[in-house]
Amino acid sequence: MGSMNLKEWVKTLTFYELLLGMKATLSHLLKYKPITLQYPHEKKQLPSNYRGMLALLRYDDGTEKCVGCDLCEAACPSRVIRVVSAEVPEEPAKRYSKEYYMDMTRCLFCGLCVKACPVDALGMTQEYEWAVYDKRQLHLNKQQLLAIGDRNFPVREKRLEFQHPNVAYFNVGFKEIPQKDVE
Amino acid sequence: MPTPSTTTETVTLTIDGQTATVPKGTLVIEAARQVGVMVPHFCYHPKLTPDANCRMCLVEIEKMPRLQTSCSTQATEGMVVKSSSSVQAQEARKMVLDFILANHPLDCPVCDQGGRCDLQDFSHEYTATSSRFQELKRVFPKEYFSPLIETQMNRCVQCMRCVRYCDQIMDVKALAPTGRGTLTEIKAFGAHELDCEFCGGCVQICPVGAITSRLSMYEFRPWMLKRTDSVCGYCGDGCQITFQTKDNALIEINSTQGSGRNNGDLCARGYFGYHVSEHPDRLTLPLIRKGDEFQSVQWEEALELVGQQLLDVKAKYGADAIGGLISGRCTNEDIYVFQKFMRGVVGTNRIDSSARYGHLNGVHALQRVQGTHRWSVSFEDIESADTLLLVGTNITETNPITGLKVKEAVKRRGAKLITIEALNPAIGSISNIVNLAQQHLGVKPTGFSTAILGLLKAVVEQSILDAELQGKAPAYFNAISARLQALSWDAIFAQTGLASDLFTEAAQVFGQGKKVVVLVGPGVLRSEGGFGMTMNLMDLLLITGKLTNPGCGLAPLAEENNDQGAFEMGGTGAVLPGGTSLGDPAVRENLSKAWGRPIPDTPGSSLPQLIEDAQQGKLKALFVVGENPLASLPPSSGIHSALEKLDFLVCQELFLTETAQKAHVVLPACSYAEKDGTFTNTEGHIQSVRTAIDMVGESRPDWEIFSALSVMMNNPMEYGDVKEIGKEIRNLLPGTRTLGPAPLPAQPDSSAIARYVTTDYQRDIAPRYQLPVNDAATDEITLQVSQSLFHSGKFSRKAKGLLQVEATGKIYLHPEEAARRGISDGDMVKVSNSLGEVLTPVGLRERIPQGVATFPEHFDEEIRQLLPYKVDPETQVPYYKLARVHLKKVVGS
Repeated sequence: MGSMNLKEWVKTLTFYELLLGMKATLSHLLKYKPITLQYPHEKKQLPSNYRGMLALLRYDDGTEKCVGCDLCEAACPSRVIRVVSAEVPEEPAKRYSKEYYMDMTRCLFCGLCVKACPVDALGMTQEYEWAVYDKRQLHLNKQQLLAIGDRNFPVREKRLEFQHPNVAYFNVGFKEIPQKDVE
Repeated sequence: MPTPSTTTETVTLTIDGQTATVPKGTLVIEAARQVGVMVPHFCYHPKLTPDANCRMCLVEIEKMPRLQTSCSTQATEGMVVKSSSSVQAQEARKMVLDFILANHPLDCPVCDQGGRCDLQDFSHEYTATSSRFQELKRVFPKEYFSPLIETQMNRCVQCMRCVRYCDQIMDVKALAPTGRGTLTEIKAFGAHELDCEFCGGCVQICPVGAITSRLSMYEFRPWMLKRTDSVCGYCGDGCQITFQTKDNALIEINSTQGSGRNNGDLCARGYFGYHVSEHPDRLTLPLIRKGDEFQSVQWEEALELVGQQLLDVKAKYGADAIGGLISGRCTNEDIYVFQKFMRGVVGTNRIDSSARYGHLNGVHALQRVQGTHRWSVSFEDIESADTLLLVGTNITETNPITGLKVKEAVKRRGAKLITIEALNPAIGSISNIVNLAQQHLGVKPTGFSTAILGLLKAVVEQSILDAELQGKAPAYFNAISARLQALSWDAIFAQTGLASDLFTEAAQVFGQGKKVVVLVGPGVLRSEGGFGMTMNLMDLLLITGKLTNPGCGLAPLAEENNDQGAFEMGGTGAVLPGGTSLGDPAVRENLSKAWGRPIPDTPGSSLPQLIEDAQQGKLKALFVVGENPLASLPPSSGIHSALEKLDFLVCQELFLTETAQKAHVVLPACSYAEKDGTFTNTEGHIQSVRTAIDMVGESRPDWEIFSALSVMMNNPMEYGDVKEIGKEIRNLLPGTRTLGPAPLPAQPDSSAIARYVTTDYQRDIAPRYQLPVNDAATDEITLQVSQSLFHSGKFSRKAKGLLQVEATGKIYLHPEEAARRGISDGDMVKVSNSLGEVLTPVGLRERIPQGVATFPEHFDEEIRQLLPYKVDPETQVPYYKLARVHLKKVVGS
C-alpha cells in the first residue's frame, strides 16, 4: 500500500464514508416523516385524472345527460354496461336510456366508456371504497349511478339550448323544437 | 336500372386496373361492383332508374372531358375507368361529402341508422375531420308524426331514393320533394300524416337515417341485432324476410335487396306485422275445460286426455266420427305430419285445410285441364309477359308483391294489362292496379262470370282461335262457340254495364299477346261459381292456343302463405300428398307401404261436409289446428250449432280464438318465428322458415304435438327434428325435391289437355256457360267482404303496427253512391238483409264501384251474419263473401 495523504487520513479517522452511506438514515432520524399511510384513518390525495368509480351525470337543470346511444356498451372491453334505450315518454323523437346497468365486478376502470360517450354523460369519480360483502351489490342500476354522480360532481355542466347549433337539434324532443308559424 | 339486354353481347372495360367483361348496356357502377370495386353512392339503387343527383359516384373515365357519374354511364368497349385510383375523383367525393355534411346533423349516436349508414361509412373513408362551413345547419321543424314511419328531414341527403321507389316500384306516389335546394324536404302531398301503403320500402331504401321505422325506434343499435332469414307468414306470395332480433325480442323485419321471390320488396303486413309472435295473449300452457272454465295443465295431462278421448270416440263411433281441420298457415312439415296422423293413427281421411276457402278452385282447375297442381308460370314469367289479364284479383290488397311483378311488367317493360276488376280507376292513398290497365273492364263483384263470358264471346267472334287444337278437337270448340252464341251482348251489357266493343278490344289485345299470364284472385276464387269461372279462364287460354306456350298460363293467387303446401301435403281430404287422388288404390298402396301403416279407403271430406255431419251428429270429435272456423265462416254456414254438437273439440292455437273458447282442450302451438320448416308459396316455390326467437312459454311446433299424440295413442310416429320430416316428404314426393331459389315451373301435361278437350269438358260445360241469374232489386247494394292490405286473416289483428294503420272495420262506399243515399263520411249506417242487421260506420273510397260496398274481412265479427253461404258442387268450396244488403243512415249519428 502506498503513502496515504492527509485528506484520506482525516476521512478514515472520522468514518466519513460511513457517515456518507448513513446520510439518508441519519437525516430521517433527525426530521421524522411517516411514509406508511394509516388507511383508513388517513387517505391519499388522488390525482385529478384518477379513474375511480363510474357515475352518470346530469345537466345543471337536473336532467340526465345520457342519450341512451349504447356507445359505452359497444366500447366496453369487458361487457360491464347494458343500456336499454327508448323514446322519452311524452317527448317523441328524443332518445334516453330507460334502463342502465353496470356490473362493476367486471370493470377494469380503463375509461373507454367515458371516452366513447358523445355527450359526456359518464364520469370517473375519485371513489374507490367499494368493497362489499355481496358481489351483487356491485351490480348498479341507473339510479345508483346517478346518485354517485350527484355526490361527486356538485358542479354541473350547463345544458345548451338545442345543443350545439352546428349539430342541429341533437336529441331534442319534438315538443321543444319551435313549430312553424301557421298563417 | 335499364335491364341489360338478354343478348350475349358483352363489352370489356378496365376499372381501377381490373378487367371486367359485362353485358352491353351495364352501368359502370354495376360493372365495378362485379369486379369488387365499390363506388360510393347515395342516389343510385339497382332497382331504380339512375338519377345521378347525389354526385357521389363520380369516376374518371379516360378520354372523357370531366368526371362522370358512374351510375348513369353505360360501360362501353375499351373504357378505362378510375375510381379509387383517381385523385381527382377522390377529391370530388370529399367535396360532395363536405356539402352534405354542411347540413347533416352529427346526431349519429341517437340515430337508428348509425352503424349501418352509408353517409357514416363514406365519411369515415373520404372526409377530413373538419369542415369549411361555419354556418348554422338547416333545421326543418316537424309538423306531424306519421304512424309507423318516422321522418327526420334534418338528416336527409336528398337522394330521392324514397320518392323514386314509391313511384317506380310501388306506384303509390305518397312521397314528394317540396322546397328547393338544401331546403328540399320529403313529405306527403299536403300537410297531413303519411297515408300510404306503409310498405316500409322508403325505410329500407333510405341510405341515411332520414326515414326510419317508429315501431322499434331507439330500441336497438344495428350491431346488436341477430339476423335470421325466413319467409313471411301472411299471404301466398312467400316473401323472403329477415328477422332482426335482440336478446330474443323481435326488433324489425328486413328483406335483402335482390333476395327471395320478392327481390327485397315487402308490404305493410310483412314489414310492420311482426309483433303477433310476441303478443302477450299468446297461449303458454295447454288448457283443459273444467265446466265453463279453462284450467292450465302440463303437456302430459293434456296429451293423455286428447289421446284417450280420440281413442274412445274411435272405439265407440268408428274412426270416421273424427275430423281434422288444419290451417294453411302451418308449415309443410306440420301439415304432412297432421294428415299422416289423421290417416295413419286415427284412421280417417276426414281432414281439410284452409285451402278449401278458395285456393282449391284454382288448383282443381289447373289439375283438371293441364294436369298440374302448380302454376305453369313463375313470377319471372309475370315480369316478362307481354300481356297480362287480371280477373278479380284486387292484387294490391290481396297479393301485393305479385302486384309489384305486374307493375314491373307494365311500367318498366311495357306489357299490356287487361283487368276485369271490381275497382274504379281512381287515385287513392294506396296504389290501384286498374290505373295501369290498357283495357279495364270494371264490373261489380257479382259480374266476373259474365265479364269472363263476354271476353270469351269476343274471342270466338273475332276468331282468335288456335287452329291446330280446333282441328284436333272440333267438338270442344263447337260446343263452346255454340253456347257463347246463345248469349246476347244485350244480356251481357245488362249485367256488366259494358258494351261489346270493350270486350272486342280486350279480346284483340289478349289475342296479340305472345306471353300471356292470367292472374285470378279471390274475387273469382272465393265467390259463387268460382270453379266454373276459373275453368272458363282455362278455356280462354286453351282456345286461343296460349296455354301450352312457354311463359303463358293461369295463375290463381293463394291468400294464405301455405295454401299451396296444404294441398300438396295432402291436407285436403280427398287428396293424398303430392296432389294424388285418394281414390286411386295404387297410390294408396304405395303410400301405406312407405308409411308402414294402412291408409283407410273411406272417402275424404271437405269442411262443409264436416259441418253438415257434425250437425247431424255423425261427427263426434274435431281436431282443429291453427284454424278458426267460427270467425272465418258466417253463422249461416251452421258452424255454431255444428261445434256445439261435438263431443270433443281440440284446438291447437297461438291464441284463445273464438273457436278455441269452445274447445275442450286447447294446445299451445308455436308461431312461424319460433319454428323451422318450409312454406310453399302461390307459385309453388318451397322456401325455408327458420327459428328466430325461442318458443313462447310451453308452446311447441305443431308436428311435435302430433308426434307426441301418436305416442299417446300407441301408434308412434317419431321424428327427431323437422329435417327428418322434410327428408321423408322429399323421398315420397319427387316434386318437392327442388328446394331452391328458382326451380322451373310445372309444364302442362298434353295428355291431360287431350282428355279435357275430348270428353272431360262435357261434364259441366252447360252450367259454366250460362249467365248468372240477376236478381238485383233497385235500392239494394252488393256487399263484398274483402281482404285489406293491412291485414291478413284474423292473425294480424294482434300486430300492434298494423292496428295503427287500420284498427276497425268500416263499410266503404263510392262518394257518389254515398251522396245519392244521403250518407257522408263517418256516418253510422244500418246494413240489413233477410239474415240480420248491423250498425257500422261509413268510409268513402273512390276506387269502389258504384252499387258496391266493401267491408274488410278481418273485422267482420258482426257483418258476417249478413252473408249467405253456398257450397260449390264440384270443389266443395264454401262461398260467403258476397251479400245483397240495404243501407240506411242512422239518424242522429
